[in-house]
Amino acid sequence: MSRPLSLEPSIFFDEVNERQGVFHRRAFLFGGFAGLGTLALVGRLTDLQVVEGVRYQLLSNSNQFNFRLRPPPRGRILDRNGIEIASNRPDFRVLYRKGESKDIEGTLDKVAALIPLSDTRKASLLKEISNTPKSRPVSLANDLSWDEFARVNVRAPDLLGVAADMGEARVYPFGGAFAHVIGYVARVSAEDLEKEKGIDGKPDPLLLHPGFRIGKQGVEKALDSQLRGRPGGQKVEVDSVGRVIRDDPSGDIKALPGKDVVLSLDADIQNRALEVFGEDSGAAVMMDIRTGDLLCLLSAPSFDANSFVSGVSSADYKQLAQYERKPLLDKALAGLYPPGSTFKTMVALAALAAGQDPKRTYTCNGAFQFGNHVFKCDKHHGTLDMHGAIATSCDVFFYQTALNAGIDKIAEVAKRFGLGQTFDIGITGQRKGIVPSIEWKRNYFKKTPANQKWFPGETPSVGIGQGYVNVNPLQLCVMASRLANGRKALNPRLIRSIGGIEQPRGSAVPDLEVNPDHLNFVRAAMASVANDVSGTAFAAAHLGLGSVLMAGKTGTAQSHVYASGTHGAHGARGDWQLRDHAWFIAFAPADDPRYALSVLVEHGGFGAEAAAPKAREIMRTALLKDPEIRARIEQPLPLPPLDPNAQLPGAAPPPPTDIPGVPGPAIPSVQTFDPGRPA
Amino acid sequence: MTSSALTRPGQRDRLSEKVTEIDWRLALVVCVITGLGAMILYSAAGNAWSPWADKHVIRFGLCLVLMFVLSMVGLRFWFIAAYPTYAIALFLLMLVPVIGHTSLGAKRWLGAGAIQIQPSEIMKIGIVLALARFYHGLSPREAALSWKLLIPAALIGVPALLVARQPDLGTALLIAFTGAGMMFLAGLSWRLLAAGGILIGAGITPFILFVLKPYQRDRILTFLHPENDPSGSGYHILQSKIALGSGGLLGKGYGLGSQSQLNFLPEKQTDFIFATFAEEFGLIGCIGLLALYALAVAIALRIASISHSHFGRLSAAGVTVTFALYVLINAAMVMGMAPVVGVPMPLMSYGGTVMLTVMVGFGLVEAVRVHRYEEMPSGRGSLL
Repeated sequence: MSRPLSLEPSIFFDEVNERQGVFHRRAFLFGGFAGLGTLALVGRLTDLQVVEGVRYQLLSNSNQFNFRLRPPPRGRILDRNGIEIASNRPDFRVLYRKGESKDIEGTLDKVAALIPLSDTRKASLLKEISNTPKSRPVSLANDLSWDEFARVNVRAPDLLGVAADMGEARVYPFGGAFAHVIGYVARVSAEDLEKEKGIDGKPDPLLLHPGFRIGKQGVEKALDSQLRGRPGGQKVEVDSVGRVIRDDPSGDIKALPGKDVVLSLDADIQNRALEVFGEDSGAAVMMDIRTGDLLCLLSAPSFDANSFVSGVSSADYKQLAQYERKPLLDKALAGLYPPGSTFKTMVALAALAAGQDPKRTYTCNGAFQFGNHVFKCDKHHGTLDMHGAIATSCDVFFYQTALNAGIDKIAEVAKRFGLGQTFDIGITGQRKGIVPSIEWKRNYFKKTPANQKWFPGETPSVGIGQGYVNVNPLQLCVMASRLANGRKALNPRLIRSIGGIEQPRGSAVPDLEVNPDHLNFVRAAMASVANDVSGTAFAAAHLGLGSVLMAGKTGTAQSHVYASGTHGAHGARGDWQLRDHAWFIAFAPADDPRYALSVLVEHGGFGAEAAAPKAREIMRTALLKDPEIRARIEQPLPLPPLDPNAQLPGAAPPPPTDIPGVPGPAIPSVQTFDPGRPA
Repeated sequence: MTSSALTRPGQRDRLSEKVTEIDWRLALVVCVITGLGAMILYSAAGNAWSPWADKHVIRFGLCLVLMFVLSMVGLRFWFIAAYPTYAIALFLLMLVPVIGHTSLGAKRWLGAGAIQIQPSEIMKIGIVLALARFYHGLSPREAALSWKLLIPAALIGVPALLVARQPDLGTALLIAFTGAGMMFLAGLSWRLLAAGGILIGAGITPFILFVLKPYQRDRILTFLHPENDPSGSGYHILQSKIALGSGGLLGKGYGLGSQSQLNFLPEKQTDFIFATFAEEFGLIGCIGLLALYALAVAIALRIASISHSHFGRLSAAGVTVTFALYVLINAAMVMGMAPVVGVPMPLMSYGGTVMLTVMVGFGLVEAVRVHRYEEMPSGRGSLL
């Protein structure tokens, strides 16, 4: 085949023209295809940018902006005078949001270079972070110093996901004084989350915030929903890895702070009560008998509620739980004890109502035989009427009196005075106790019919507050306040107001169905307990506040050790666990009562020795805080009237003639209460 | 002065005459598109020249000079260089699996340090030149249907497979489509086209299932249902669609694209720069940009059409096909109409290699325009 000249076309001209023609047609077609492709792209763009534009706009905004949950400040808990007993303090902490970050360990190492972070803590944090969804923050460290906080804050932009955050932490300024009443807050547990599930099956996101604490006990738990408030949102612009680019304060949603709760308690009285208990175990409850407000609701020994907020260590918790004086138990509400001789007031009222003459005497020679059982008394009291028997707390007299009244009459009166029931004070944890009656025994021993019958031989024990009868310190305080008030069946009130809204008062209750003469009689006898030389608490319960006197009743209750069926020696001797419980119930001033009080010293021995002095101190604190009482104490003594028969209005009553050992006009007699007493 | 077929001999070879023959409209459109690219890169960097916009502009300046220089190179030289260029590119491609180095899980690069070359990019020019050279010596009947068509099929298939094995699916597809486009332009018979279409249609499913690497398969399946895995492999497409869609009709405004500024949009400066642009300039801006690209394609096709030599026609058209495919595939990918295969938007995406390839291509197109009357050797039966 011969080669053509190199510059000549290898094909013929018609072929050249044909080739060119084909190319032109095909190029035109290609242009058309490309144009169609471009049109398809424009169509798709129109769909994305115009038809679905709004949807993508929203998606873009939700990428760009983030609402960071801001926990609301928890409502404070205040005492009756506005003193904070639970409040919030600033808490500098470091939060970590995992986001898209992969190198969590590296970030933690960098944080550990700025603030102390132990290896074990790091390991547990790693675990916590990997179990947490990426949008939810995890707290790396709490309670940082300002220096540490500032150090993290400066470096935070380099540490992906790490943010220095200023939150609030719960603080209880009085530590243990209110621990049982207001409880404490702590980390949200899995059970809490389960309980708080909303309608959509998801828990409130606030509960998942690392700074949030939930009420675990007492007022913090009972009023958690009011104290909690509503969380706010902080609008921030974030980049793809969750780093905050800038805040957008205009888009913030304000957190709604929790409501403040005002309690009826008085911090000074409560603190004084804790002080006088020292390491003793027991409870003190005080009520204002005009309103029913609880002024003191103490259980001792106590524990520092602050240590529960950040999480108490298991060793510390074990120590608290195993201590024999049971600091974690609220003895004021949940501790049940036989009331001992304080119950004689009820027996006396029951007997009076049953028609026993107050002047009727019985002779005590130290023992009382009923059937073939001998009931003992701690002394030979000799011949006594009811007044004397209350003042000297003679058991023999009340064995007899209880039999006169009958168990059902006693139970009826005791219930009227608040025993054997719980009160709506806004917090849980009260135990009812037992007020025995024939019906009660029938119900109680349903399973053992042989025990269902009430034996008359069981009544004398109840007469001195032993046997089946069981009460808590709050009930005895209510009993004392109803005795002192004399007219109303007062209920205790703990929560005074929530968010400024006054809660129902404890005095809006029906009248007490008891003969006022009988009440006056018992009150006079109680005044003698504390102020007559023969009274069981004469020395211990003397207030030393001039004409302002305290009336009371001691109680020394045998503590049963049910396992062995034995009890220890009388009084404050021997094994602590076997000693008697010491009681004292009181009200003051004796002539115009304002405050009622019950004091229990667990295994304290004699009521007069262990409980009465504590009651005196607590009562003194309350009386000295009361401006009217204070004025009365500080008011100069009136001159003795020239004519003993012409009394000036407002002057002290005539000096007692029958209280040996009490100096003349300085302390007025309590005889005005004493209709049944021989002159 | 404009030249014509009737200018004096030698006059057309003068440099001063040649410069006037450069198609300045095409150069202007290319400059405008690149300028928009630089603008968007400036915005994406948070209103800063560094790290992208400055380098983009400098590279473009150098490439523009190169384009003008190449446009002065006679078509006969391109003709002679066609097969050697292809051969060198093929040789380097074969070398890549042996001595190439790995980056991002794929072996694509040769060389070390400052001088690194991507043989697949050389091949994009090489395949255009080689096919143009081959068809230059082919009669229309042969180009339509003959056993000789096995040669361009091999010329296309071998480098496409080599690139696909690197693996670089996007470039492989680009080479294959460019080659197919040129065969179509050269006059492939409709029957063969239909047969090929049916073959590809039947072979696509087994290809996806058995030939593709798992990550490539994931990309394809993800493009169909990006919402199934919003934080995994669907993330790119989803965020890209959000960026596009949130731009709306008029866009969020220059420098205000939150998706790109806050890094939600991945590869915002390279493969997804069209989404960055669309977020800030909206539908109107996008239509304008696509119109500019269409204009460039139309001008280049017109240049191809007026060339007197078949080599000139096909080489200019081949470059145009590559360029158009770049734009269409990238835009479709960004809009979620095509799988994410790593094809950049030419002239806008940040990256030196693609810029160089595209500008060398436009240099060839301009050379075809400048030398449109140049007579070509037959080329039949010889390699040089």
